[in-house]
Amino acid sequence: MSRTILGARIRERRRSIGITQAELARRIGISASYLNLIERNKRGIAGPLLRRTAEALDLRLDELDGAAERRLLQTLDEIALQPDLRALGVESAHAGELIGRFPGWARALVALARSEREATATARALADRLAHDPFLGETVHRMLTRIAAVRSAAEILVDFPDIAVERRERFHRIISEESRELSDVGEALAAFFAKVGESDRTLTPLDEVEALFEANDNHFAAIEEAAEALQPAMRDGDPTPRPERADRVAREQMASLVESIVAQSAQVETAAGEARASIALLGYAADALLAPMASFAPRARALGYDVEALAAAYSLGMSTVCERLAALPRTDRTPRFGYLCVNAAGSIVRIRSLPGLLAPRHASACPLWVLYRAQQSPEAVIRQRALFPSGARFVFLARARNTGLTGFGKPRHYLTDMLALSEDDSTLTVYAPDAGVQVEEVGPACRICPRRGCQHRVADPIAG
Amino acid sequence: MTKRVLLAEDEPNIVESLTFLLERAGFVVESEMSGRAALEAAIAEPPDVMILDVMLPELDGLEILRRMRADPRSADTPVLMLTAKGQREDRETALGSGADMFITKPFSNAEVIAAVERLAGGRQR
Repeated sequence: MSRTILGARIRERRRSIGITQAELARRIGISASYLNLIERNKRGIAGPLLRRTAEALDLRLDELDGAAERRLLQTLDEIALQPDLRALGVESAHAGELIGRFPGWARALVALARSEREATATARALADRLAHDPFLGETVHRMLTRIAAVRSAAEILVDFPDIAVERRERFHRIISEESRELSDVGEALAAFFAKVGESDRTLTPLDEVEALFEANDNHFAAIEEAAEALQPAMRDGDPTPRPERADRVAREQMASLVESIVAQSAQVETAAGEARASIALLGYAADALLAPMASFAPRARALGYDVEALAAAYSLGMSTVCERLAALPRTDRTPRFGYLCVNAAGSIVRIRSLPGLLAPRHASACPLWVLYRAQQSPEAVIRQRALFPSGARFVFLARARNTGLTGFGKPRHYLTDMLALSEDDSTLTVYAPDAGVQVEEVGPACRICPRRGCQHRVADPIAG
Repeated sequence: MTKRVLLAEDEPNIVESLTFLLERAGFVVESEMSGRAALEAAIAEPPDVMILDVMLPELDGLEILRRMRADPRSADTPVLMLTAKGQREDRETALGSGADMFITKPFSNAEVIAAVERLAGGRQR
């Protein structure tokens, strides 16, 4: 945005929220006369000063510097170019006018387009899961086998009226036995589909844990409070290393709290899921003891959510910092982080989801995610500016870490941590990409990715 | 001479029904419930017709078929494959690895008997 518009915008906003030039100047730490020059477009404004001004005016940086409008315009252009909408004669040349005169309508249109894309992606992912679910494959096989046995025995009874009584009874028994088995299979299938309808996904224990975290926005206020109250137990001069101590305090003092959360959650239903969820929440509790949110959140903000700086500041492992960032309580001005941890085979070990980002839970994950190349340069934080086919933009931060020293000649084990945040939210962090940072096209899993010509494709898309 | 059918199937109730039917049709029937035992029996004393289920414990039907075809003693044994999966890939894999015929579960008795009779070179009585 040009200097002309930026200065005017600052003045307009300042007046609309009713503060004087002198007051705003005081809040952002410059003289009133200098602010006056800025507002009259005689001086430029950028960097930290612009950020402080946006904050003082209670605007996001991108709202103030016009980036939000540019993105809105870009998205409207994309909508106008959609093949199925072309016939409607969308006046794409007037998108700028629409934003200027009816910004609310423009945003509503973009929001609708986005939720339509997300709904389509979810529907495709569900279809994908059904087609590849091992439970379904196995159950259908069992069902057909039972039907074969019933049918064969029943046909014998009809086709051979002359067989001996004992034989006849034997075939009757087979039919009865197999029918009973068949009803069990039928019930299991019905239960499976009921669950799919209720929860939008087939549940594995890992899925249940993910659903529990998702339903709580990755943040458990009761655990945070308890961890705060237990801080004295973390400081009493015990020489045990802090991480071990946090584990012990969590186990000894927070287990019943964790159990009650798991017992009350609607997302965790199976015994295996309960066990996993308890372990995950005790881990969360230990992390909360190590980096209590009351101090972690402001510190994270002050450090621009820099993962390495936070790890150093708290003497914590990166995975703990990633977990804490994903657990930040929601406020308008807090970036929202998703977190994924995968092993060397690319299987997901831990997942804290981020709305709008489909995690690669199944086969044919997109190899273009930086998550899968971080192992080539272990210990370094690698940033990726990722563009999805839907137009969604994310910033990915991945780092592979050695899980522990094993010894000479022994294999090393690596896990890769990846934080994800929307490109919008990244402007609140040190990871905000400059305009010059290359945008990389990535996708969701191949099966639900529309990039037909992609040379990395390993499976055909199932729809569209 | 009475012809021998080797039935490799791990569902006892299906084994019982098919054995009854094949005996009624004039065949001598031997059955094996594990893949490994079925393969050994097929090679040691090749039957006139083999009915082979795709899903077997220890060694699956497709692998048994490949090994049978690789062994001169059982390379020409007529094989009828049974599977619960009606998927095309399975059918193609089975026929590609040398099955003579292919029937999906749930089958009709008449269909199985007709197939075995054809592979055995005619009705037994």
